[in-house]
Amino acid sequence: MESFLAIGLIVGKLAVVIAILLILPIPLTWIERKIAGHIQQRLGPMRVGWHGLLQPLADGIKLLFKEDHIPVEADRFLFTLAPIIALVPPFLVFVAIPIGDSITLFGTEITLYLADMNVGLLYILAVAGIEVYGVILAGWASNSKYAVLGSLRTCAQMISYEIPMGFSVIGVVMLAQSMSLLDIVESQAGLWNVVTQPLGFFVFFVSGLAEAQRIPFDLPEAEGDLGAGYHTEYSGMRFSFFMISEYLIVVFLSALMVLLFFGGWHGIAMIPLPPVVWFLLKLSFFIWMFMWLRFTFPRYRYDQLMSIGWKVLLPLSLANILISGVFML
Amino acid sequence: MIARVAQRMSGWIGWVFFLDLLDGLSLTLSYMFSKTVTERYPDNEKWMPFPRYRGHHFLKSNAEGKTNCVACELCARICPCRCITVVPHEDEDGERHPSAFDIDLGRCLFCGLCEDACPADAIALGRHYEFCNYDNKALVVGRDALMTMPGKSVRGGEVVPARLSTEDGVTVPAVAGGEGADWWRNIRRR
Repeated sequence: MESFLAIGLIVGKLAVVIAILLILPIPLTWIERKIAGHIQQRLGPMRVGWHGLLQPLADGIKLLFKEDHIPVEADRFLFTLAPIIALVPPFLVFVAIPIGDSITLFGTEITLYLADMNVGLLYILAVAGIEVYGVILAGWASNSKYAVLGSLRTCAQMISYEIPMGFSVIGVVMLAQSMSLLDIVESQAGLWNVVTQPLGFFVFFVSGLAEAQRIPFDLPEAEGDLGAGYHTEYSGMRFSFFMISEYLIVVFLSALMVLLFFGGWHGIAMIPLPPVVWFLLKLSFFIWMFMWLRFTFPRYRYDQLMSIGWKVLLPLSLANILISGVFML
Repeated sequence: MIARVAQRMSGWIGWVFFLDLLDGLSLTLSYMFSKTVTERYPDNEKWMPFPRYRGHHFLKSNAEGKTNCVACELCARICPCRCITVVPHEDEDGERHPSAFDIDLGRCLFCGLCEDACPADAIALGRHYEFCNYDNKALVVGRDALMTMPGKSVRGGEVVPARLSTEDGVTVPAVAGGEGADWWRNIRRR
């Protein structure tokens, strides 16, 4: 009976997480369009529902009813496989992301995470790396020059930015003496890591932008020069898979920033709020940050992108490891 | 020498940490919380033209409800596009009025010369500007229709509440010159 309840709890949490992640892109597109509008002194969507709240639903219905087109020359198997490969890793990543410690509900203690892995951080970085395969396969299978160019860019960009991203996290791991995200958050109970690791946060933030393929590093899907990059040939629901995965990566990177550098669910002692609320507040701040950046900057040129990755972020992240090592001694 | 080195160093540090990007971020942040300039036409708002605006023609009428027009045909004479047709008619009181007064809006260029030429202060160009049509023939407006057209706007340059009517196409009900905020006030000038 006891084990039955535990399994039921895990399945229940899993269902809740999947449901939330599937629904999350709907409000996020609305928020993104609203932010875009207000930065450009427009109102954004206003006509469907109150302040355009139902606009994402209308868009979703439109995408469902659109023709699912596969180009004749495309590799049909890879073409259908690629959106799924792009969509699955963001879901897998959230297995290891905790949103709080634990709460007591009806006398049973419920932990607010699916799994507390002792290699949580490594798992997250590794699984997030798989997402690149979806993008590369999509570009290759489309048999279109724009898509291939887009996925080539993705390939180079992801490889160059995953290295500084991994290095920038090492400082945090050194401080916490653990790769489990719970331990990392617990180690920040007194002082947030962003105070001791500002350089690490900076490198993580910039390479995170590049990993999420957001402006100013959105070369893989540069609308101006590549059509739409790797998803040029995609339409309907397959296209929306890519969009969902893009939004989930933004959420997951924001969550990782909060967990690694901004103390997770530890709040400021002066303002008493439940830990989960603190976490969600910080999370939404970083999501807003991503969108704010998107509508401020133009795109980097390809050589600039490479020189930032290899000449700036990599030395900075190495320096960060060195400095934090010296301080810890 | 040292100053030049310091300058180059600070430039390098600025490049490494994207300091120039912060300027753009602060600008967009201030825009994000500034007032929007969107005019929600035709859903909620409508811009009222200024009193000197030259829109749809209208015929003024006197206290008895009869038109001021004396059918002198000066407007038809001066019209550069020959779009006004007036048929004079003498009624039983011996007064001269038009029996037909047709304006072909498809040909009209809204120059306002008819308004200037009119000796009886009868024809003028009003505030109404939503009269697009799918049918050329419907653009020929007769005397009785012209007499019911809205006149000049009183204050103008304002946004007044309006409503989108779904029953008879996208039309906006005419709004009497009510209270409305000056739309241009919201425009942000730097």
